Amino acid sequence: MTTFSYVLRDAFRLVTRNITLSFLTLVTTVAVFFLMSCSILFVMNTKHIVAGIENNLVITAYVNKKGTAAEVVADKIGKLDCVDSVRIVTPDKALEILRARLGNQADVLTLLDDNPLPPSVEIKLKNASAVSVVARELLSMEEVEDIVYAGELAKRLEIISRFISKFSFGVLAIALAVGALVVFNTIRIGVYARREEIEIMLLIGATPGFVAFPFVLHGSIISALGALLAGASVFLSYDRVVGALKASMPFLNFMTDRAVVMDLWLLLVGGGLTVGWICSWLAVSKFVRQAMRPH
Amino acid sequence: MEIKIENVIKQFPPDILALRNINITIPQGDFVYLVGPTGSGKTTLMRLITREVVPTKGRVLVGGTDLRKLGMTDIAYYRREIGVVFQDFRLLSHLTAYENLTFVQEAIGMPKDLIEERTNEILDKMGLWRRRFLYPEQLSGGEQQRLAIARATINCPSILLADEPTGNLDLQTAEAIMKILLSINAMGTTVVVATHNQYIVDEFRQRVISLRGGRVVRDERKGRFEINDDF
Repeated sequence: MTTFSYVLRDAFRLVTRNITLSFLTLVTTVAVFFLMSCSILFVMNTKHIVAGIENNLVITAYVNKKGTAAEVVADKIGKLDCVDSVRIVTPDKALEILRARLGNQADVLTLLDDNPLPPSVEIKLKNASAVSVVARELLSMEEVEDIVYAGELAKRLEIISRFISKFSFGVLAIALAVGALVVFNTIRIGVYARREEIEIMLLIGATPGFVAFPFVLHGSIISALGALLAGASVFLSYDRVVGALKASMPFLNFMTDRAVVMDLWLLLVGGGLTVGWICSWLAVSKFVRQAMRPH
Repeated sequence: MEIKIENVIKQFPPDILALRNINITIPQGDFVYLVGPTGSGKTTLMRLITREVVPTKGRVLVGGTDLRKLGMTDIAYYRREIGVVFQDFRLLSHLTAYENLTFVQEAIGMPKDLIEERTNEILDKMGLWRRRFLYPEQLSGGEQQRLAIARATINCPSILLADEPTGNLDLQTAEAIMKILLSINAMGTTVVVATHNQYIVDEFRQRVISLRGGRVVRDERKGRFEINDDF
């Protein structure tokens, strides 16, 4: 119990004795973990959007405006086994859907004299592997002018997503290295400032663990607190940011589950604690080992 | 705990021979003066006992344990049996006299109530009770030395090592310090004192081990300080 209270008191003393340095370290760790969480959320959202598109296995076939072209296409294609359902979208209905998607930007449509949208047939497939078969079948029909299917878009997004993931991983790694280095150096400065005390402690029989623990606790607290504050700012601002993005890009399906952001927050705090613990331990144990090593 | 130094040679890099074939046995409860000129190996010998230094050849046994075989944690527990008084006191300047004493007890995980009891007791014994809330720089040289001895003995070590405990002190204060060391020895603690002080060696006669050039040149019970010991 004495040991525990001593370690706590000493860790607190380390924070207060180097208050400026501790504060600067805290600010840096907040910035690092904020950057990390933004990077993670960016990747998660990109993947979410791509997954949303991939799951929506719909081929839209734009048909000419001649008579019952849409009905003909719907009838022919509906007979294929791999087709789940077929829906005809009239030009009026298409305009209505577009208006709904544009939300408060829908006023722009009032500038149009008449409806330029062609009739279309929306074909929902049973599985993704049928996309190319159905696409070929549709392109062979003379009524079909063009087709658009999510698979192609998803493939392109997947490539972008992979690039973003790699880039974000790089950002994560750099941010983590910077954070770790800052914590490591703060603890090392603290250790050197107290080297005489440490040497005396080791000479009178304090165990290496006892000497190191307040420093490790100091580093872990600062790092975890940095992660906690960064996580809090992300958690509190996420809805507002996503709301703003949705308003300007209503066609993209952003991640809105707050539980995921909460999980990320917890993960950040755990990560902060671990990084702080490891870096502090490395900083102090090297010194203690050297001090204990006989000549 | 008996201290046994067997055939010890200590060489520091590149080729400084600090100790040459040292054989010394110090039984439990002995009082020993280590005398000799600067560089004769007194401090190295004491650092062998604290295991800050390991011999190049030979071995150091304390209480039958070969110190070379101790692991990091074992060393910590072993050092709890040894009190060290440094020549320059090495008191922590940002702690008061009282805190300098509680700090060393907390460092080995002593219970809080025992820490208070022991600290108050030793402050009283060393005549520092009224000075307990002063910082080391506010204490006189003699008071700082008494505080250093208090710190070295508060955990009841079996062995007390004192490097020049009377250096830079006036005669009267040096005598007072020696009386404290003898009283600690009288309670069964082995005391090893490295000194250049002829007066205290001759006044408080005990076993004298004289070193010169890393060799033991004299080992006498109730010995005196000889002129060669410091030249």
